[in-house]
Formats: sequence, structure tokens, C-alpha cells
Amino acid sequence: MKYFRILLLLLVFPLVSATSAHKFYVSITKIEYVKEKSSLQIITKIFTDDIEDVLKQRYDASISLDTKKETEAADEDLKKYLLQKINISVNGKPVKLDYIGKEYDTDMLVAYIEVKDVKELKTIEIENKVLMEMFPEQQNIIHLKTPESRRSLILDKDEPSGKLKFN
Amino acid sequence: MRLLNSLFLTALFLVSAAVSAQDETETTKREPGHYNTNRFKQLYEEFSTPNMFRTASGAPGPSYYQQQADYKMDILLDDKNKKISGFETITYSNNSPDILEYLWVQLDQNKRAKDSKSPLIESSDTAPADMAGNFVQNYMDGGFDGGFNILEVKDAKGSPLKYTINQTMMRVDMPKNLMPGEKFVFSIKWWYNINDHVVDRARSGYETFEDGNRGYVIAQFYPRMAVYNDVEGWQNSQFWGRDEFALPFGNFEVNITVPSDHIMDATGELQNRKEIFTKEMMNRYEAAQKSFDKPVLIVTQAEAEAASKNFSTTNRTWKFKAENVRDYAFATSRKYIWDMMAVKMGSGSVMAVSLYPPESNPLWEDWSTRAVASTLKTYSRMTFDYPYSKAISVSAKNQGMEYPMICWNHGRPDKDGSISERTKFGMISVIIHEVGHNYFPMIVNSDERQWTWMDEGLNTFTQYVAEQDFAEEYPEAIAPNKKYPSRRGPAKSIVDYMAGDQSQLAPIMTKGLNTYNFGANAYAKPATALNILRETIMGRELFDFAFKTYANRWMFKHPTPEDFFRTMEDASAVDLDWYWREWFYTTDYVDIGVKDVKKFYVTSKMNKEVKEMIAARGISESDLPPLVYMVEEDSEDFDESMRNEKLGDVKTLNEYIMENIPAEERSKLKQPNYFYKVTFEKPGGIPMPIIVQYTYSDGSSKKVTYPAEIWRKNDEAVGKVVASEKEITKIEVDPDEETADIDTSNNSWPKRKKLGAFDKFKNKTNPD
Repeated sequence: MKYFRILLLLLVFPLVSATSAHKFYVSITKIEYVKEKSSLQIITKIFTDDIEDVLKQRYDASISLDTKKETEAADEDLKKYLLQKINISVNGKPVKLDYIGKEYDTDMLVAYIEVKDVKELKTIEIENKVLMEMFPEQQNIIHLKTPESRRSLILDKDEPSGKLKFN
Repeated sequence: MRLLNSLFLTALFLVSAAVSAQDETETTKREPGHYNTNRFKQLYEEFSTPNMFRTASGAPGPSYYQQQADYKMDILLDDKNKKISGFETITYSNNSPDILEYLWVQLDQNKRAKDSKSPLIESSDTAPADMAGNFVQNYMDGGFDGGFNILEVKDAKGSPLKYTINQTMMRVDMPKNLMPGEKFVFSIKWWYNINDHVVDRARSGYETFEDGNRGYVIAQFYPRMAVYNDVEGWQNSQFWGRDEFALPFGNFEVNITVPSDHIMDATGELQNRKEIFTKEMMNRYEAAQKSFDKPVLIVTQAEAEAASKNFSTTNRTWKFKAENVRDYAFATSRKYIWDMMAVKMGSGSVMAVSLYPPESNPLWEDWSTRAVASTLKTYSRMTFDYPYSKAISVSAKNQGMEYPMICWNHGRPDKDGSISERTKFGMISVIIHEVGHNYFPMIVNSDERQWTWMDEGLNTFTQYVAEQDFAEEYPEAIAPNKKYPSRRGPAKSIVDYMAGDQSQLAPIMTKGLNTYNFGANAYAKPATALNILRETIMGRELFDFAFKTYANRWMFKHPTPEDFFRTMEDASAVDLDWYWREWFYTTDYVDIGVKDVKKFYVTSKMNKEVKEMIAARGISESDLPPLVYMVEEDSEDFDESMRNEKLGDVKTLNEYIMENIPAEERSKLKQPNYFYKVTFEKPGGIPMPIIVQYTYSDGSSKKVTYPAEIWRKNDEAVGKVVASEKEITKIEVDPDEETADIDTSNNSWPKRKKLGAFDKFKNKTNPD
């Protein structure tokens, strides 16, 4: 369905295509509110080489993702980084994000994060600053799905957070 | 009487259906008429009328012509000052029936001129940031000027010609009009500053290695003739940077002077090999021409590393000749390792070649040349035997760009020599893609400036086939994967794009520059559309023959989209107008599902519907011919005993069989005991075949495909009655995800709730 709002090329577009002069700096985050589980299920997809670059600069130059050299410490660094850069408020109050884990899909890193005990969703404010300190043109796209609606946000350095109201 | 009765009954049913339909849609105003909006109507309005240049079959017509541009060039590359200069003589042949008043020449490097308008058409009022290179060029005084400096334009006698430069296009005025069949010879002297392609992410330029040496990949570097043809006139649409090229074929004689310690390869055959090669290199070269299973090094890594320590102050000239190519490019550096292997092609052989710096090992020595060779085999099978003598893959940072016989490709190991999966597959995929471009558009020479998809889409489709072939030829390269992890091609990979916000989508039939999602629109979607056509709509045999026919018809010519669309139908007898319209001319998407399933039982007892019908018309039951009645499971007429009724229990049916079917044939009759009316819905625009898997109570299943034409009269929902000997327990549409259905939540009966990606991952991580 109309899930992804924009720039789907990311999923299918190589980092450097045969003809593109510029790399695309974009991540896509899908958030689904599952009411019966009182849960916000978050899946965020980021280019592996971009996130590797930022982790190397911030934490440890030897970090190597999706290779045999990948360490558990790197996973900790990733968790720390994502939880620092992604912040969510539900119904006006900041909520705790649980990092569940990550996997790789071709050249994308796919991270899973959950917010529990969301009994009701009236408003949500999402801040996603992932990679913005590294790439000024970074865009982080958010797709939010609730039982009633689908909404999208495009976040960038000028506007790294956005608020959605329901009902 | 019996005949009369059935006629009457038929009429009665029809009338009753019409009446009830009218009741539902009764309006106070008569509806206006409409144009033919049927999705299956032919593309007469979209297509231009066939003519003597291009036929209705999709082949070149009897008056088809194309222009020719032959070049003689002397090029000097100044490695120290990063400058390139050239003197070129162009012989332009007017093979058209038209009188030409002027010529148009492309000056692509003016995209990098200080006064280039390219940055001006890009966003924006609130761009948060700019590439450093662009920023300097745009805003800071004394920025890099990489535009052409045209020193002179002269005719064959040496008299200056008047010329006018409009951004990336130069009009050359001739002393008199060029008549059909005439040639015009003129020369251009030029130079420009070579750009750093890593900084500005350009397709041509140099990269600087850590040891200070540079690798040059040089392309669209000389003033090039524009295409003049029957479709566009002069194709002089400006080069803004992203879109590619339209170029006529011609013959080239090119002398390239570079530092003596450089190793080079280029479009065309090296003419002075004996002068350039050492005896040792010559021996290795001869061995490579006989090596069909592995590459042979012409320049070893040790030799490249030794050469990298010096900087020659003397020059030497490499001389090349190329016939029937549309463009020219070369790569040169003192850092290059050089290897080659032979590939069987028809009755002869061609060379697969790689040029790469030591930084690209280990990786390039293993897979570059092998990937080139594998690509040539697959593409030649799908199209025609590779007509050039060689295909070269050059290692260049961040690159992926194609020219005749030569291309630049990214992918290098980490500094410690380790290679991630994504680096390896990224590198092999880009090599297959760029080498594949030799076929589309270097030989099947479509207009890239206008129709990006014609080369990128066809090439990305063939790339997918070649990737799968590569994995079969070299299973060790892809282990532990069993199939090559192709990014584009499979139907389900395009779903996210096609399900996207409509304001961000453009039809495939859009000029590349004006699409929103360039990669998905010009590469992935047409490639997927062709893959679906091959695997699901036409079948491999019909598709492959038609695709090959197109490639052979337009080899060394200039095809248009219609030539492709027409040929695919002409060679296959598959009506594809609906497919081209939906996939190429619209932004529609596929969404087909099961709307409703009703179970029926067969009985000889008259049901309520028929009772009411005959009562209303004053007919009695005895007036009717023997009828078989269908009773829906949820209707009042249904009673539980019907569940166990067999066809043999239906008296009217039994009687008919006894009367009309000879005894020996009765045993051959099917005995369906289960009847279903399945209603399929199509919330998506694109009509596609309904591929249905019926699963039975005994666990067996059957796949049935109803052709796309089932939607020709009803664009929203169609019904199918399924008579089955076994009870159906599950009905699933598109079970193998081969149609790019964007919403599979309506694909099954009974409806099943699928576990989302999140829950799947969570269950895998913490099994509760």
C-alpha cells in the first residue's frame, strides 16, 4: 500500500549508479502503531557504509560493519548512536526506546526499535538526526502507520523533528 | 417447445439481471458518453504513424538513414598540470535526405565551465548545504574552471568557421549548405583543465592516490557531433550533468600522448603495440589471447608499484583505431596493473581486459576480468555476438560509467585488504552493468539524452540475467549465497517504489532529467517490467526471441521506444499494447486480490430465486426444461443434506446424461462436487494475469493463470466459477510474488494475517 512516501530509490538504487553524479544521503524509518500490543514498532533502514563512516569517526576507526571483523562492541556503539539520534515523544511525553537488534539487507543496515506501553496515540513527535552531523544533505524519511492512517515526514538538518496529530 | 422454453428462460434471466442492475444505479440524469478508456485499446494515439524511416513492425524502414561522424584526433595529457589538449578533424557525412544549414557539436565539459548553468537548474531556495566543489565553483572567486577553451574552428582549407556556443552546444556555420550525400570536413583545437572526479563526482577526470600519483579516466573530453535524425532533427538538448548522450557512429584514429611510464587502454585497437610493449609484455599478451579460463597479467602488481615510484618527464604516444563506435574514451596512469583473458565469440574470440591500481587488490585480480568475460557471454546470447575486439573494466573510485569497449567501475578492498560482501557484489554488479552497456546503448544506439530507460532499463534487465549466469559460472564467487543477490530485477523489489506517493512518481516514458526517482524510474522499474514480461507474461522463449530480434534489427542504428515496443509484439504475436501503456506510460501499480468466495451446492430442487422469477412471469414449473440449480451455502434454500449430495443424486442432471451421453463416454465425465464462485478484485490500475493457487483439503494444490485480458470488460472485479472434485481450503493470488503486487493483504482466502517484518525479527531475536 502507500507506505513509502518518497525516494524509494534507496531500496533499489545503488550508492553510485551508472550515471548519477551524486550519492543519495537518505534513510527510511517505518513506524507502525500496533494498538493491540500497545507497541510502536520501528524499523529504520540506513546505508551500511554511511553508518559505518559515522561510527568510525565517533567511536572507533576499526569498526567494520557487515564483515567478519564486526564486533559486539560495534553493535553497542550502533545502539548508543541510534538511541541518541532518534527521539520520540508520545502524547507530549518523551518515551523510552528499546533497541532490539539489527540485520543487513544487501547494502542497508536494518535496525529494530520498540516503544512499549503506548495505550493511546494522540500525538507523536519524532526527531531523527541520524547521519546529519556527517552529511549536511542527509534526509531522514519517516513513514508512520496507525490502524486508521498513514502519514509521512521528511526530516533534514533544518527541521530534524516533526509532529503528527491524530483524531 | 423445449427450445422455446430455453430461449424464453434465457431471455428471462437476462431481463431480470438488467432490471436489478438498473434499480441500483438509477439516476435522474442521463450519463454523458465517453472516449474509449479501455485499458486494452491499442496505442494508436500514443504512437506516431509508421513511415518509410521506421516501419509498423518496429524495424528500420526502406528510407532509414543515419549520419556518420569520423574523427582524427591528436591528444596530449599533461599529468603535471592536469590539463588536456587536442586537435581534431571531423568528417561529417550527411546521409539524410535533408539539406543541413549548420552543424551542432556537443561541448560536454562546459558543464564544468565557470558560467555553467547546470547548478542553476538544481534546487533551491533552502538547500541546507552544497557539495564543496560546487560551492567553490558557485560562490567563491577564482573557482575551478573546467570548461572547454575552443582555440579555433576551421574548415578543411584552414579558413576559420563562424561558431556560436550556447552552454554545452556549439553551432558551426558552414560556408554553404550541406546537401544530401555530401561530406563536410572541419577541425577544432581545444584544451581544458581536468577535474578531480572524486571531489565533484564526475564521470570523467582524475583521482589522486595516497602516493600522489593520479589515475585518469577520460571521457566526453572532445567536441563531439550531435545526432541528426528523422525523429528529433538535431538532438541538441543541453547537457545538464545527469542525463547521458546521443551520438552518431563513426570511425576514429586517435593518438594519445601521455608520460612514458603510463599504462593506458582505450576504445579501439592499439596500432603501435610493438613500439609500446616490451618483449616480455608482448609474450604475455600472446599468452592472454590463448587463455580462455583465467586472466594473464600484462603488467604485474610489482611492475606497477615500481613505476609508481617515479614520474617520467618524457612522453610517448599511443595510437588507436576504432571502427563503428559512437564515442571514445581512455584510462591512463602509471599505477595500472593490466590483465586480459580471451572469450570465445562466434567463430573467433575477443578480449576481456582490466586496468586497476594495486589499491584494488585483492579483489580485482580475482573477479574483474572474469566478470567482463561472463558478461560478454550472457549478453551475446541474449542479443548478438560482441562485435568489438575487447571490453575493458577500469578501477576508478566511486565510478560506474560506460563508453564503447571501456568502462569505469568502483569497488576496492579496505586498507587492510579485507573485502565486505557489499563491496564484492557492488563491484561485480557494476562491472556487469557497465560492460553490458556496450550492447545498450553503445551498439543498439538509443537516444540517452531523451529516453534514459531505453539503455538503462534494457541494460539493467540484461544485467539481472547476467548476474544470475555469473553465479552459475562462478559459484565460489557468491558462496555462501546460492543465487546472485541481484538488487534489481525480481518483481517484489520494485513494490516499494511503485507503492510510493504519486506526486513523486513519473511514467517510465519521461525524459530522464525530469524524473523524480532517477534510479527507480529509469533503471529498476523498466528492468523489472521486462523481467515480468519475460517470466510471467510472455514466457522466456517468446520474449527472448523478440528481444534478440530488437537487438539485431537496431544493432549499430538509432532505435526509438516505439521501435522496441513494436518489435516485441511483431516477433511474438503477443498483444502488449496494454502492458506498454500501463507499465511505461502511466504510474499505475498492481494490486489484485480475492474479494469474495461463495460456495455453491448443486440440486434438482428449484431455488427461491428461480421460483420468484417464474412466478412473476406466470410460468409454472412444468413449463421449464430440466434444470440444475445452484444453491449458495448461506442462502435460505440451503439445507445441510446438500453437503452430502453427489452429482449422481441430481435427477435432472442424471436424466440428461442418460439420454444424451453414450454409456462408454459417461465414465470419462468429471465429477465435481464442490462449486465456488470466486470474485477477484483489482484495486490497482494495472491489469495483470490473475495467477491463482488453489489448495485442496488433501494438501495438494494447483496453479491456474487467467490472462490479463480477463479484465478487458470489467476493470474492477471479475468472477470465476470453479468446479472442483476436491474441497478447496485456500485460494492465493500471486503466490510466488511475480507481479509486483503492492498490497498482498488481500491476496488470500481465507484472509490470513501475516506476521510483519518487525514481529518476525523480534521473534527471531528473543524467542519467548
